[in-house]
Order: sequence, then C-alpha cells, then structure tokens
Amino acid sequence: MNGLEKLLTRIVQRVNINLREFDFDVALYIKGLVSFAQLETVHGFYVVSPLHTLDFRFSHSNLAGSYFMGKCRTTNAILYKSDIRGDELKKKGSVFKVEGFAIPLTKNEGIRIEDSFLVKTLVHNFSHDPESPERFTISNTVSTHFTNIHGSPTDGSFLGPFVTVDLTTVNDCVIGPYSYIQAGEINHFHINTGTIWVRSAGHFNFLYRFPKSGLRPYISFEPGKQPQGIFIDFINTHNREFEKIFATVNRQTPVTVPDTASLDRFAVVLPQTTIAENVLVAQRSFLQNSHLGKGSNAQENCFIINSTLAGYNVTAHGAKLIGVDLDTKVFVGFNSFLRGRNCRLKIGENSIIMPHTIIDSSTPLNIPADSLVWGLITGKEDLLTNSIPLKKLQKIHSGFSRGNLIFEGSGNSFVAAFQDRILHILDANGAFYNGKKGKGHAQKNQHISFNIIQPYSEGKKKGLYPTIVIKP
Amino acid sequence: MEGYTVEDLMVPLAEYATVSSGCTLQEAVLALEKAQEEFDHSKYRHRSVLVLDINDHVIGRLNHLDALRALIPQQQNISGMGDPARFGFSNHFIRKLHQQRLQQAISLEQLCKNAREFKVEEYMRAPNNDEFILHTSGITTAIHQLVQENLRSLLVRKEKKIIGILRLTDIFSAFYHTMARPEKP
Repeated sequence: MNGLEKLLTRIVQRVNINLREFDFDVALYIKGLVSFAQLETVHGFYVVSPLHTLDFRFSHSNLAGSYFMGKCRTTNAILYKSDIRGDELKKKGSVFKVEGFAIPLTKNEGIRIEDSFLVKTLVHNFSHDPESPERFTISNTVSTHFTNIHGSPTDGSFLGPFVTVDLTTVNDCVIGPYSYIQAGEINHFHINTGTIWVRSAGHFNFLYRFPKSGLRPYISFEPGKQPQGIFIDFINTHNREFEKIFATVNRQTPVTVPDTASLDRFAVVLPQTTIAENVLVAQRSFLQNSHLGKGSNAQENCFIINSTLAGYNVTAHGAKLIGVDLDTKVFVGFNSFLRGRNCRLKIGENSIIMPHTIIDSSTPLNIPADSLVWGLITGKEDLLTNSIPLKKLQKIHSGFSRGNLIFEGSGNSFVAAFQDRILHILDANGAFYNGKKGKGHAQKNQHISFNIIQPYSEGKKKGLYPTIVIKP
Repeated sequence: MEGYTVEDLMVPLAEYATVSSGCTLQEAVLALEKAQEEFDHSKYRHRSVLVLDINDHVIGRLNHLDALRALIPQQQNISGMGDPARFGFSNHFIRKLHQQRLQQAISLEQLCKNAREFKVEEYMRAPNNDEFILHTSGITTAIHQLVQENLRSLLVRKEKKIIGILRLTDIFSAFYHTMARPEKP
C-alpha cells in the first residue's frame, strides 16, 4: 500500500468513526469512485492575482485537478477536480455580524480541509458559524460528484452526489443525493435523497421531498457504482470540451468580453455565444449558443445552452439551462436542471427557481413573472403543485402545504430572505458595477493567472504532493 | 419478586403473536388477535406482533400504532418525511396539516382495504440494542431498563436466540401482587 492508498484508508476510517451511529460504511460508496491513476497523474493549480489573497499550505495531500483561490490549508486530504474558491472569505479587520453578534476579525479567514476526500466538489463563500468566524473547516468528510459546500463548515459527514449544504454547519450527517440543506446547523442527521430543506428558526421552514421514482432517472447512487442518471449522462456528453481547454496552455479568448466582464480561462464557450457587461463566467462553466445579458452570471459547473438570459440573472453553482429564456432578475438556484426538450421554457422576471429544481418538459412552458418554483416539473400540470406566485406566498402567515411541500412560518420573511440574498449575490459578482463603484468578481477576476503544482510521480509518496507553502 | 429472573415472568415466544417476514399487514393483525384469544395468562392484552425471518430470528415488531400508521395514505404522510418535527416543524402545524389532509382523504373502510396487502416489513420496527435482555437477568435489571429506555416490553435473549418477551404489564402485575401482600409482622 503506497502513501496515497494509506491516506484514503485513513480518511475512510475517520469518516466512519463519525458516522458509526448510522452503521454507515463510506468505503462502500467511494470504492472505485476515482482511479488512483487519475489521482497520481493530474496536476493541481492555484490562482495568482493582485486582487486576491495568496496564502496556501498543502501538506500530505493529493490535489489532482483541483483549483485553489485565496487562503487555504489542506492536510491529509484528497481533492479530486474540486474548486476551492476563497474569494468571499472574511477579511482581517472586518466585522462579522451574525445572530445579533458583531464579531471583529483579527486575521483573514481561511479554508481548512483536513482528513477529507472531496470529489468534483465546490467549496465557496465563508463560514457562517459564529463559533468559527476565521476558519471555514471541512474535516473527516467525504463529498461526492458535484456537491457544493457553500459557507458550510462540515465535519464527520458524507455528502452524496449533487448535494448542496448552504450556510449550514454540518456535523456527523449523511446527506442523500440531490439534497439541498440550508438550516443553520444540523447534527447527527441522516437525510434522505432529494430533500430540499430551507429553515430559518423562528421565521420559516420549507421542506420538500422529491418523489423517489421521479428523481431516480436523474440521479441514483448505489454502493460500488458511479453516480448514474440523466445529470451524469448530460455532463459526460460535454466532458470532451473541458478536456480540450484543460489540455491547452495558452488559450485565445473565444468571444468578445467587455472590459467590465470576466470569462474564466477554464470555462468552455462555444459559438454563438455573447457576453454583455458585468457578466461573470466562472471556471468549469459551459456556454453554447447563448446570450448572457448585463450583470448575469454563470457560476462553477453551470451549463447554459441554447438559452437567453435577459440580464441580472443568477445561475447558481451547478445549475443547467438548456433551451431556456430567462427574463430579467430571474434566479436559478444551485444544481437546478431546466431543460426544454425541443421546446422553449420561458421564465418571467423576478421569478425564483428554488435550488435543486428540475423542470424537464417536452412541451413549451411559460412560468409567470414573480413566481416561486420548486421540485420536479415535467409538464404544465406539475406547476399547480410546484409553484406559487410570490405575492400569494407573501400573504401566508402560518403555513401551507402543496404536493410534497410543507411550509410553516412567514411567507413574507421567506421571500424577503431570498430577494436579499439574490441582491447580495448580484452585488458580490459585480452585476451593478457602474465604472466607479460596485466592483465584484466580474471585475476582480479578469487578471488572474494560474500556477501548476504536481505530485511525486514515483516511489512511496507517489501521488502525494510535497508540503508546499505559497505566499506573496 | 426477589429471586425471580426475567425468564420466569416472560411470555414464551411460542405463546406470543408471531408472523414471518413477507406476510401482509392483514395477516399480522389477525395473528395478533388470534394470539390474544388463545392467551389467558393475564387480563392484559398483547400489544405487538413479532416478525421472524426464515431462521426464526426476530427481525422486528409491529404494535398497534405501527399498524394504524399504515392507514395514513402516502399522500398524507407529510412529504414522506417520516417525522417533520425532526426538521423543526411545530406539533401544532403538523396536527393541523394532518387534519387538513384527512378531510380530503378516502373512507376508513377503503383505507383498511388498501392496507390489507401492505407488507409487514414496511411498518414494523427493528428492535434496537436497548430492547434486549438476557434470560438470566433479575427483575430489578429489567425494571431499570424499561424505565430508562421508556419501553413497554423487552425481548428476552438466550444465547443468540429470542426465547420470549417480557412485557411491562407482566412486571407491573408482579409488582402489584408484591405490594398488595400484607407485610409480615
């Protein structure tokens, strides 16, 4: 057993110890998930930029195909094709306001990844845990394909494919595929596949569960097998284009990019795509035959194909739009899958497509402006149970249920929380930049370059990266 | 009660309601009623039926509440979440939601008819480690376990096999008779 195999064994044991109450053996799920040959040969890379923190320490880790930005430590960790994006971490001297506390920060916040195995995972945002304001820690955790760990310190947990944990501290949990959790803090939970849970204690509680048989064609994950289903098939169909851009050293910008917009060097852009001002296109996103209007964004692992975004649209991490027309200020949440199969899906302005929503229709659909949409929609009739006008939701004070959704609390608070957050995302991405004020990622991410780091290629440490400290 | 072991007070497995895995809910409910008719050990009723695998090992039990749960159609089993209270929903909200959905539901007769063919495994509960007790254990140990774990019965184990069930009612009956006996001068 070489060093890399020993490291993986160690991580498995750490995770299993934390999950012993569920009698959960993570080894069954990660067996063969990533080949050692891949881990041993693919290089990692990090961002060098005058506008971003440069502070890395990699120790006893494998970083195959992974991307690092900001301040990050990895120790005893394996990161495969993961994006560790530290451009929203809290800064030294700032004040973190949370739960009625105003916490001054005495140092820059950093991402710490320890004793963990992350596969094609995005780590972004900052720790929302007031108990660890300067550390965004992921420890004793396994996360699988296309999981988003977004502002969520995570310990002792297993995250299935296409899971998003958002602004939530996660301890000792098993989270089933395609679940989205935004609940502040969860401990010792075993959450079923396709659970969408958004809770703000004392304000609102939104809980939806995908029908098992409805979700299974899109994503299924069984021990000893790769994740399977329409999501994976769709991504695999487009992998070749990513392989090309990762294999190219010097790449010509494939489209005209305005001075106030940013197109990442590791995004795929195919004809006939147009990009307007203040647009952010993040790494590992895929654009084809689409228009991104002013202030729109395509975040990591997004696919936007044969679609138009009128402007100020958020396409959150992992969302996919195929044959979709978004009117202005439409928000499409994490890992949503919106596809018009030989038809168009039209979504009216200001609508909120909840994270992890599937709209997959073979007949044209028009979603009215100012709607909230969630769950699984395969035709017009599903909109009756899976959408509600925002104005109607705002009038709800105690709760309601519709289809597989139950909602308790204030609809007005729920809508306000989402609208505030969408505004914050647009602002952070530089959507409102006017040439003087409002710089965000779209403007700051223009002049970044990448350095490559590589593992030992032979011997006992084959596949492990030497301890590397990188500072300005 | 001093000197008694749990084996002395338990109901032997042979006298208890059991069904095999794979049987229907209807068969389980009939087995429970049949065992009650044949059992005259005390005035207390059987409250659950044990589910056995092909090797006659206990793999679960089904009580009255579990059986009634089968009458709640899936669309009323809120979001299929199991227990929404775990997700932070208030009891008041959950009760209200159940009421709303029950009002839209089909008749009780139809619900019973639907539930007949459900498999017992879908509604039984697998026993956890706290529900087992050794056949040689004393009554005070059993009382401690029942109280601490808030249980209504314990599965009595001899070596690797379940040989009987010790019910709260059996213990209570012994406790009552001891209490009622006049104190010796």
